[in-house]
Amino acid sequence: MKKVENINLGGQPFTIDEDAFIHLKNYLNSIHKHFSDSEGCDEIMEDIESRMAELFQEKMKGHSIITNKELDSIVAIMGTPEEFGAESISEPIRHSSKEKTAHKTHYTSATNKSKRRLFRDPDEKIVAGVCSGIASYLGIDDPLWVRIVMAVLIFGAGIGFPLYLFLWIIVPKAKNASDKLAMKGEPINVESIARTVEDELSDLQAKLTDLSKDFQSKKKRK
Amino acid sequence: MKIENTKAQMRKGILEMCVLSILNQKEAYPSDIIKKLKESKLIVVEGTLYPLLNRLKNSELLSYNWKESKSGPPRKYYLITDQGKSFLTELIGTWKELNHAVKESTSKLKAS
Repeated sequence: MKKVENINLGGQPFTIDEDAFIHLKNYLNSIHKHFSDSEGCDEIMEDIESRMAELFQEKMKGHSIITNKELDSIVAIMGTPEEFGAESISEPIRHSSKEKTAHKTHYTSATNKSKRRLFRDPDEKIVAGVCSGIASYLGIDDPLWVRIVMAVLIFGAGIGFPLYLFLWIIVPKAKNASDKLAMKGEPINVESIARTVEDELSDLQAKLTDLSKDFQSKKKRK
Repeated sequence: MKIENTKAQMRKGILEMCVLSILNQKEAYPSDIIKKLKESKLIVVEGTLYPLLNRLKNSELLSYNWKESKSGPPRKYYLITDQGKSFLTELIGTWKELNHAVKESTSKLKAS
């Protein structure tokens, strides 16, 4: 059983299930981002949404709820921002190594990394995620090395302590999927956002499972 | 140099000309324009058309009216402007020159 959302797409009402809603939102956001530098971005978005609404109306005859199945076929018709072509922005198209066919490739984008931003990593923190954030920014896989350096600065040179506090205050926490992707320098597109969200959910699931195991064993001891 | 980029650049110029030419024959909804462009395999995905229409409209080569629709909200109905018509005439002229030039240069290649 799934939750549904009621949406207004291009001036027409639709009912869409929660998974397809997330994909649709990400798809529209990726298009908006693609045109964000052009004059007329809002108008283009309206036109695209209207057209999608028309296509959904034709497709949905009889069925009442939009699922990923219908959404995928509409996205294949409209295309992803990468497929829009040199028309959209006046720069050469970047090509990804994975192309066409498979379901997921609708949302792939260029393989080159976007600019990295410094965030604190709330998922891999010991105290405040300062060291893991720095590690991500520098492209170091294991935050341990940053932590070692930080520990030396704190205990050895003393300056590490105020430095850590300073960074804790100044460096923002990576709150949502696009922050976390920017922290690691990964391109922000529908696929990477979906992947990030899935990873977070499975982490959360693992933590909850651990927590309940802990709880069970404590109960038994009593 | 990526061939995809070159191909895309070639298509880009021609696409403008074709959109103007379609609207020169008759006013149309974007969905009609898309249908024609897909038939002639000029576009693959519909998303390509909307930024183009927007640009042509902003350059006053096209304009649109809203037409009421039975099955939903009003839709945009595009027409070519006078400026668009003269732009098109020039583009067609250039296309004919290019066509000729390509024929010449590729035939010379074959001869040698």
